[in-house]
Amino acid sequence: MPQLDTSTWLVTIIAMILTLFILIQLKFHKYSYPLSPAPKTFKSTSFPTPWETKWTKFYSPLLLPQQ
Amino acid sequence: MNENLFSSFITPTMMGLPIVILIIMFPTLLFPTPTRLINNRLVSAQQWLAQLILKQMMMMHSPKGRTWALMLISLIMFIGSTNLLGLLPHSFTPTTQLSMNLGMAIPLWAGTVITGFRYKTKASLAHFLPQGTPVPLIPMLVIIETISLFIQPMALAVRLTANITAGHLLMHLIGGAALALISISPTTALITFIILILLTILEFAVALIQAYVFTLLVSLYLHDNT
Repeated sequence: MPQLDTSTWLVTIIAMILTLFILIQLKFHKYSYPLSPAPKTFKSTSFPTPWETKWTKFYSPLLLPQQ
Repeated sequence: MNENLFSSFITPTMMGLPIVILIIMFPTLLFPTPTRLINNRLVSAQQWLAQLILKQMMMMHSPKGRTWALMLISLIMFIGSTNLLGLLPHSFTPTTQLSMNLGMAIPLWAGTVITGFRYKTKASLAHFLPQGTPVPLIPMLVIIETISLFIQPMALAVRLTANITAGHLLMHLIGGAALALISISPTTALITFIILILLTILEFAVALIQAYVFTLLVSLYLHDNT
């Protein structure tokens, strides 16, 4: 049976190791599966400053009761 | 007759140069590297196929086992494409060579076993003794489990070699018989030819199934050990 002729075994095994572990993997590691593009949710970029969330009376030095 | 029948399994050399190297490397040419975001049809189809196989195979593994994803997808594509190319007339199929299959099976199996020993030593050793065995049977069962562990790579290699070789031999024999029968009795030749067609369809299936089985078993051994 020609498969049992061990003189060719070294060449075959080295060629297979080269192909399987290097060449084919170089082809397959480039495969990328990006997520399909979807629009991002709209978020407002300005935040209400803490003192604007509730109306507070605006105190100015000149409006205080004169003493 | 003997020499003629097995002559397609001799590793091809041309004037002393081992062209078997080129034959083994040839399937890599059939998988072009994707270089664009949206690729051409061939690359897209191969990417889709790879994703299908990956999702099916890697679902049962832990994150540690999933690091083997590239190895397993390369393995199944390599064996599948090599087997399918071997169905072309007068071609040489590298997976009929016991040397190549042993070279694939032993390192991959050893990798899974060593991974298991390194990360889950007690659980790996516990595989040698199934749960709930009666105490007097323990020594014999450990021996049996050890033998069954060490036979796994041999079985992987020999299974692939024998299946592909047997299929190719049958096709040679039945094809030769159909050819010889044409001059003797065309009806029998027609029946033999139909058998040959059915066998070829079977061989297409076997080519793919054997790739799948090899990879699945390696994946199973991995699952046991991660």
